[in-house]
Amino acid sequence: MKRPIAFIATIAVTAALAVPVIASDTVKIGALYPLTGNSAPAGQAAKAAIELGIEILNAAHPELKGLPLAESAGLPNLGGAKIEVIHVDHQGDPSVGQQQTLRLITQEHVAALLGVYHSSVALTATAVAERYGVPFVIGDSVAANITQRGFKWTFRVTPIATDFAAAYTQFLKEMKATGKKVDSITVLNENTDYGTSVGGSIVEVAKKGGFDVQQIVYNAKSTDVSAQVLQLKEKKPDVAIFVGYTADEILYMKTLRDFDYMPTMIIGDDAGFSDPSFIPAVGDLAQGVLDRSAWAAGAPGSVTFAINEMYKARTGRDLDDTSGRWMQAFLVLADAINRAGSTDPARIQKALQETDLKPAQLMMGYRGVKFDASGQNILASTYLIQLQGKEYEAVWPEAHATAKLQWPMTGWK
Amino acid sequence: MTRWGWLPLAAALLAYPWAVAGSDSAAFLQDMGALVLLAAISAAAWNILGGYAGQISVGHAMFFGAGAYMPLLVYQHWQMPPLLGVPLGIAVSLVVALVVGFPTFRLSGHYFSMATIAVAELVRIVVGNWDFLGAAIGLQGPARARGWYDLIFRSAVPYYYIFLGVLALLLLVAWQVQRSRLGYYLRAVRAGERAARSLGVPVRRYKLYALMLSAGFTSLAGALYALKTGFVDPDSGLGILVSVQMIIIAALGGAGTLLGPLLGAMILVPLQTATNTWLGGSGSGLTYIVYGGVIMLIARFEPGGLLELWHRQVTARLARPGEVRHAA
Amino acid sequence: MILLQVVVGGLLLGALYALFSSGLTLIWGMMNFINFAHGEFVMLGMYAALLAAAWIGGGPVVFGLTAALGLFFLGVVVYFALIREVMRGPMLAQILSTFGLALLLRYAAFWVFSPNFVTLPHPALAGTISLAGILLSIPQLVAGLAAAVLTIGMHLALTRTAVGSQLLAVAEDRNAAMLMGIRPDRMQALAWGLAAASAGIAGALMAISFPFSPAVGETFALTAFVVVTLGGFGSVPGAMLAGLIVGLIQALSAYWFGPIYKDVVVYGLFVALLWLRPQGLLGTA
Repeated sequence: MKRPIAFIATIAVTAALAVPVIASDTVKIGALYPLTGNSAPAGQAAKAAIELGIEILNAAHPELKGLPLAESAGLPNLGGAKIEVIHVDHQGDPSVGQQQTLRLITQEHVAALLGVYHSSVALTATAVAERYGVPFVIGDSVAANITQRGFKWTFRVTPIATDFAAAYTQFLKEMKATGKKVDSITVLNENTDYGTSVGGSIVEVAKKGGFDVQQIVYNAKSTDVSAQVLQLKEKKPDVAIFVGYTADEILYMKTLRDFDYMPTMIIGDDAGFSDPSFIPAVGDLAQGVLDRSAWAAGAPGSVTFAINEMYKARTGRDLDDTSGRWMQAFLVLADAINRAGSTDPARIQKALQETDLKPAQLMMGYRGVKFDASGQNILASTYLIQLQGKEYEAVWPEAHATAKLQWPMTGWK
Repeated sequence: MTRWGWLPLAAALLAYPWAVAGSDSAAFLQDMGALVLLAAISAAAWNILGGYAGQISVGHAMFFGAGAYMPLLVYQHWQMPPLLGVPLGIAVSLVVALVVGFPTFRLSGHYFSMATIAVAELVRIVVGNWDFLGAAIGLQGPARARGWYDLIFRSAVPYYYIFLGVLALLLLVAWQVQRSRLGYYLRAVRAGERAARSLGVPVRRYKLYALMLSAGFTSLAGALYALKTGFVDPDSGLGILVSVQMIIIAALGGAGTLLGPLLGAMILVPLQTATNTWLGGSGSGLTYIVYGGVIMLIARFEPGGLLELWHRQVTARLARPGEVRHAA
Repeated sequence: MILLQVVVGGLLLGALYALFSSGLTLIWGMMNFINFAHGEFVMLGMYAALLAAAWIGGGPVVFGLTAALGLFFLGVVVYFALIREVMRGPMLAQILSTFGLALLLRYAAFWVFSPNFVTLPHPALAGTISLAGILLSIPQLVAGLAAAVLTIGMHLALTRTAVGSQLLAVAEDRNAAMLMGIRPDRMQALAWGLAAASAGIAGALMAISFPFSPAVGETFALTAFVVVTLGGFGSVPGAMLAGLIVGLIQALSAYWFGPIYKDVVVYGLFVALLWLRPQGLLGTA
């Protein structure tokens, strides 16, 4: 610690702030989402998921067996204290994210923070939390460098770009081993921070895995994707991996059909393929496409199925992977606050560092939750799900499959 | 504004961080104060070209971006203090201003505006695909201060006074410009380019001077933004909204006036923050309905900017002759 | 063959650009007014089509008519409530007011329709046809051709009818027109109505094949600015030509240089052309 006085002042200030919070019998958490702007659909869906999470924690839900804190009302170790979340819109702007984080910490005196979606906002908002010494749990922001800056107060529950890339490569290797023809891959990624980091990782990892990989980069929010589809048609890869947002992915599926070109298999990297508008718009053109997701509603009677039904009752649609990862991060944070038995940020930080959740305690299909020194969850992982009929079914890894993988995809035929 | 009328304003600005220090939300209000000053700097810089000379640039984001990128670039690649990138950013933006100024100054009115939009978008797209400049992912500053020279402070107060210093310098320069031959020439250009030329004003040369001055200070604003935020990406540094924000603030307060941009920033930035803080969490989009509605109404009922309203109300009531103002 | 495919696709999209830009160029040329909310008019046309599909049903003709009527009304209201006053102020007030209007409209749609992407319930129009080896999606073909016909129709209406000549007379010389007994106020309101309606129809036609959300307007506004400036302010034939050129350049450069370069090429050529020919392709200096 270079500046001991500042450090001691931080402790003193946070300790002073912690007292009134305990007295009020609620635990305040600040949540930053993109509620307006281009990413508003994702932010709003995530907010609905967090609201469901609050309900699950604050009321008794004995039907959700095994999910930590769900069966009791409130946080037992804090005398049944309720969780209060202050929802904030960061507008996808790094400066607004910083400003609102500051407000949540200094004015609302939140015990911890949750966010963020945009990696750009995650980078600036976590820096403020770091300076003030308040834990920041990241539900969904995938840029690798968020947890590579030596921060002590940033924790990321979600898998990141390199995890996705490893999963795809592993899956394709397994397919190859079963005798399917998987030699060439084309990655189509959009060129904002999401597409650039995920697309780049996939190209790198798949090349190391011995595949012949090509890449097509395009502008997000295209009005016309025929050039990309024609390029794809010329390359004729065995597998095409799409990394992009909703409008583009819907347009791709339509254009592929218009040009009557179907690769053996299409893998969608979450985002656009997981958007609730995807299946109603182009579901019958996209039969058999694979999608990345750590979320699967599972069979009736399971905890995940019950959660999905509750989400549906609130929003009228199924829970998607992105919102599920937000909700999981929120549950992990609540569990840590409960174990800390306090709203003191330093004790919550310690509890987060000691987090060790098993797969059975999670709603998402991670191998567990355990943070390394950088704050990254080392047990984060993902499934592949496949569009069969009107629903996605989990197909890989086999241990979690709810349906048999169909290969090749059948698309509109 | 009377001769000493600016004194109370200066005193209020100097005292602001202390005045709010006792408040419940001191840190937040001080931070907002710094953001107001930053917005005022950008808008006042834009005002030199867009206000005095009447050349409506919708592409000033390229200068802002040059200023914001360079400090973080020298850190990202060579671990140098971001501060060292500031003069570099100004130099780059002056070069860009020269390169862009020569061809676009042949254009006037809306053609000039559209050309500046196109050039700025071009720059944004190119930077967004250029790995050395961080591409779409952007550039970061140091996560923690390695020493005072990294200019990373927990409190916003040091930023506030740095920004205030820069704003004072800029307003001083703008005031000198207003009184100098440059200022008269620029106003002549705004009133009518052909007439100005026929009176012997070297129009293109003086427009270029105004652009260079404007670009230099805009890039300084960008640099201050990057130092405070510690991050820049193509949208936050070079997006069209960055340019539009400068225009709106200047126009709101009163383009072509000395204090209009400051007044615009003092109204618009708190308005943005307040609508987002109070209405943003609901996620209904009400933030922008209110924000958009307010600027629309101001344009509808006070098209010359709010400073004009001030002059009408206050100066007229005090029955003192106001500073000679030129119709925009 | 693939090249031909790219060319045809680009031209069909370009025809849509031409349609919504022709409205913008009309008010731009007539009143020397930049409308930053024009992309939002296109977006509202898309939602008008969505409402028509939900309440009335029918095909592109119904969608287009609904959008045209709704947006014409909106355009006239905007003119009388806002533009008429703002016009008298400085140019900056135009930017301020229409930018505020754009935010207001975008987020009003956001509030009413949610930020989520929607597509029109199919099958409004679907399928592809093969013409001489070129595969064309029927919705895009219909949209592109309809847009071309409407843009030409608009040009003819402006040049061949009495009302059209009155409109152009106001554009040419407001005071002279007044002396001739034309009421510029009405003509300008009509121009705003027509501009919004053309944007609305273009939106409705695009809605058939594109997914959309309240945020789509921004992209279209920038495209329209380029097309209008390229074609020359006030020139509908210019907007038509420039729209087709922009569509074509985007398609070809996306195919030849890669999709991320298509806007770079468009903006680059745009700046170069402005420098060489500041009055636009078909504009007069």
